[in-house]
Amino acid sequence: MLIFFWLKDSNGDIYSLYFDIENHIFEIDNDHPELESSFYRNSSYLNNGSKSKNPEHDPYMNDTQYTWNNHINSCIDSYLQSQICIDSYIVSGSDNSSNNYISSSICGESGNSSKNEDARTSDPIIRESSTDLDVTQKYRHLWVQCENCYGLNYKKFFKSKMNLCEQCGYHLKMSSSDRIELSIDPGTWEPMDEDMVSLDPIEFHSEEEPYKNRIDSYQRKTGLTEAVQTGIGQLDGINVAIAVMDFQFMGGSMGSVVGEKITRLIEYATKEFLPLIIVCASGGARMQEGSLSLMQMAKISSALYDYQSNKKLFYVPILTSPTTGGVTASFGMLGDIIIAEPNAYIAFAGKRVIEQTLNKTVPDGSQAAEYLFQKGLFDLIVPRNPLKSVLSELFQLHTFFPLNQN
Amino acid sequence: MASVSQSPVTFSGSLSSATSASDLLRSSMNGVNGVPLKTLGKGHVGHGRKGLNIVAKVRKVKKHEYPWPQDPDPNVKGGVLSHLSPFKPLKEKPKPVTLEFEKPLMDLQKKIIDVQKMANETGLDFSDQIISLENKYQQALKDLYTHLTPIQRVNIARHPNRPTFLDHVFNITDKFVELHGDRAGYDDPAVVTGIGTIDGRRFMFMGHQKGRNTKENIQRNFGMPTPHGYRKALRMMYYADHHGFPIVTFIDTPGAFADLKSEELGQGEAIAHNLRTMFGLKVPIVSIVMGEGGSGGALAIGCANKLLMLENAVFYVASPEACAAILWKTAKASPKAAEKLKITANELCKLQIADGIIPEPLGGAHADPQWTSMQIKNAILDSMDELEKMGTEELLRHRMLKFRKIGGFQEGLPVDPEKKVNMKRKEEPRPGLISDKALQGEVNKLKEQILKAKETSSINMDQNGLIEKLQREINYEFSEAAKALGIEEKLSKMREEFAKAENEQLTPSQIKNLENLKNEFNENLATAPNYGRLKYKLSLLKEITEAKTFAENYKKALPLKAKVNEKFKEVLEKPTLKQNIENIKAEIEKSGVSNIEEFDQELKEKVLEVREQVESEFVNALESSGVHVTSKVDQTSMSMIKAKVDELNAEINQIIQDVIESTPDLKNKIEILKLEIVKDKNAPSKESKEKIESLQQQIKQGVADVMSFAAVKDKYEQLQAELAELAGVGSDGSLIKEPIYA
Repeated sequence: MLIFFWLKDSNGDIYSLYFDIENHIFEIDNDHPELESSFYRNSSYLNNGSKSKNPEHDPYMNDTQYTWNNHINSCIDSYLQSQICIDSYIVSGSDNSSNNYISSSICGESGNSSKNEDARTSDPIIRESSTDLDVTQKYRHLWVQCENCYGLNYKKFFKSKMNLCEQCGYHLKMSSSDRIELSIDPGTWEPMDEDMVSLDPIEFHSEEEPYKNRIDSYQRKTGLTEAVQTGIGQLDGINVAIAVMDFQFMGGSMGSVVGEKITRLIEYATKEFLPLIIVCASGGARMQEGSLSLMQMAKISSALYDYQSNKKLFYVPILTSPTTGGVTASFGMLGDIIIAEPNAYIAFAGKRVIEQTLNKTVPDGSQAAEYLFQKGLFDLIVPRNPLKSVLSELFQLHTFFPLNQN
Repeated sequence: MASVSQSPVTFSGSLSSATSASDLLRSSMNGVNGVPLKTLGKGHVGHGRKGLNIVAKVRKVKKHEYPWPQDPDPNVKGGVLSHLSPFKPLKEKPKPVTLEFEKPLMDLQKKIIDVQKMANETGLDFSDQIISLENKYQQALKDLYTHLTPIQRVNIARHPNRPTFLDHVFNITDKFVELHGDRAGYDDPAVVTGIGTIDGRRFMFMGHQKGRNTKENIQRNFGMPTPHGYRKALRMMYYADHHGFPIVTFIDTPGAFADLKSEELGQGEAIAHNLRTMFGLKVPIVSIVMGEGGSGGALAIGCANKLLMLENAVFYVASPEACAAILWKTAKASPKAAEKLKITANELCKLQIADGIIPEPLGGAHADPQWTSMQIKNAILDSMDELEKMGTEELLRHRMLKFRKIGGFQEGLPVDPEKKVNMKRKEEPRPGLISDKALQGEVNKLKEQILKAKETSSINMDQNGLIEKLQREINYEFSEAAKALGIEEKLSKMREEFAKAENEQLTPSQIKNLENLKNEFNENLATAPNYGRLKYKLSLLKEITEAKTFAENYKKALPLKAKVNEKFKEVLEKPTLKQNIENIKAEIEKSGVSNIEEFDQELKEKVLEVREQVESEFVNALESSGVHVTSKVDQTSMSMIKAKVDELNAEINQIIQDVIESTPDLKNKIEILKLEIVKDKNAPSKESKEKIESLQQQIKQGVADVMSFAAVKDKYEQLQAELAELAGVGSDGSLIKEPIYA
């Protein structure tokens, strides 16, 4: 037997309460449970789903002050509200919301999404020139000198030209954020573990410059929290997990944070079945974290084992200049397809180390991507301009397709 | 094959060709294959003159060095397999090498010997002195070796006489056979692999092999493997995995060999491949660091379930010398670097990189290799016992987790924004790029959260972010639809017009235009190519907003619910009521009927009576706690009322709409109101708020004035009366006498 009560609390809100009294009389020995009652607030029931908060308008109430006029007024209110609630499409059916769309698109220029889109898809050069204005005003660092031919490149256009030397086409170093912009569709970047920072896990503070200060100064200098940025984004509409190392931050060295961030990214990609890109630029393991950095190689490799061997997903490392040491000896060389950039310096033992152990000078170019490519160390050398489309093609060949394709 | 050689006699026979004679001479000395055609011809000439002289010569065969003896003893210790190993005990004992820090000890030892010599020479009894000196020596040795500095341990780990991998293996195995070659062109002597048994249990052994003297060291490349070595190890890992040999690896290398040839062969690739493969091997792996573990070259066979270290072994990412050279620009700082780098067994155990320490005798492993080997053997067997209890899955997981947890970092604390200015910011996903699946997933997740929150009665969630996202998506779909329908131009034209007329009133024709546009859009919307997606997203939004309002309402009702529950409990706890309930329960039990319908009249009445009591007590309790009970109805009549009220409301709404449609003035005002609200939303200002307010008032007034409600009013009053009758609630809020059954 269900009994209903109308309850009115101190706020004037009305609730209906029903409960099964029978059970509680006859099954009261049943551990005396909480009253099996359920509530639902009823105040807005008559108001056509609008958010009017006038509980007096409820006709269930037999309050004497309640009048017919009030009821009509509440009806008009609710009608009006349903007409004008543009800001929140809380209306049923698409008719109303489409009207709202028209109104809002006419009035609110800023709210017009199509316009924003145009601005976004416009030529990147225009965009760059506007953002770099402040640089021009300083009259400094106007030019970037090519490492290869010593030719000068106008900085204003340098970024939009993917840091390629105008004179000789040499691939100069690129910051991690630029590279994300280069390979990820605008408006799709979702970073992971941004605020993870290094501790001094083995207390390696040397007297002259404590390790923590060193990290701190690099953070301020580069505006990066660590030597790698990881995240999810879309590459020509294909969802990908991507990690980009930044050589500016302590030579892109791999410490605990880099290891952990990349491991988490791989684990996420494994879970979500995403293809994986890691752009390598590193001097190797970070000495200041001792063997902990060394173990990051194993940690990342173990995550890659699960990703590649168990889940059979697709991983592409992109080796940029320079990729050496521990990075080469772990995820750098574990790709399903390994891509190198032209002229990239790729090695396990750097030039200085070899010269030290052998007491011989190492000829130039013996660790360049082109030479090692001939020795069969990677699959492809891909220049920067077509890199994104090449990756997109490769992903599609491995049956990773853009999301919005039918 | 025998070669024909010319006798020297031909020399005298052919004076005219002295050069060819010398050719001949040389060719005869070459022996096996050195007879040029030309000389053969010449020889032919001479052959005519003199008699032939044929000499048979045995071909010189390259003598190979084989490890096995001429007559292998089948009963040799270690089995016949041991004959195959080229690794034999050194013929001469290695020269003792004294490390720098051991000098004081050596002085003491020298003293002891001197005293002994003196005793022998003089025949006097110096045994007291000798004993005291020996005690002193032992004490000094103990002091020194229990307090070794990291750099001293490095030196011990690199000690030339330190027992190598194969020394240990032959000490601990019953049988052992080395397996060779990477099947890709080379058998790297710096990495040794092989299978054997310890106490009858079979294992795969692999390790870095250093030489025991200079000659061996050159042959073994000082224990620095080339990629061939790692690929040999890799082959053996697969082999062990295939045949089910647990793997024991021994690490003792300064690092992977750094030369150009190794680079070309892919040193990095070889190591990387080993690292990854080791996490997939379905057999237990134990690694033992015997000497130095140099960086990647050591780790390449070190991804084990258990990494054990000898007491004086070290494991580093960069050798102390290299580290000092890089950080302090001088190799002299290497003791400091050794300290900072945390390379000793003890410190690595603290960092959870190493899992155990195998003791060494005082003076280092070379002081008593046999004893050290026994310690290693025990450690291997203990670890393997532990690991072999695990199932394959557990074993792999154990290995993964061992490395997964390594690392020191901090997160969750806010980072100074200045320190991450150049990090690529999170971008709000551009509408239309999120897949339907992802959206659906998010909506479902949130709904689940709401449901869960209901159970735990704590609701806090982030639906607003999702709602905004959905709204953006919907906006995008609308604009796409507008584009597809070709009314975008009209829209932009109208936008301009409105912008011009910003502060003035809209002309009726403009409003008319707007109306038309809306109608056009509405009519054609269904034909837009993305109509399906649009509708889908709208429905998602509806779902989530409903869930949200539900959650909000639920949250509001929570305190009341708690209160009611509490009161109900209180009421039932009242002794009189409790007594009554108990009584009736007992009676019901006595009667033996379970269904209320089967109760006899008397019992029924009693039940009703008790129920009424409960009810009235309950209502009283609620009233006293400030909750006003307005009425009490049953379920069927309530749903009936609901339906009626709905009907009435729909009618009223219809009338309002009719009124607005038929009054152009009101209609215009509503349009203006809408636009104003959008404007206000984009740029909130006090004026526009006031304007909205006044417009709303005007419209309300207008509607109320024009509306004729005669018909609905009657209905309303009728409903009111019905309600009153049904609920039977008087002005005092008391309950009706007859409860209603459901």
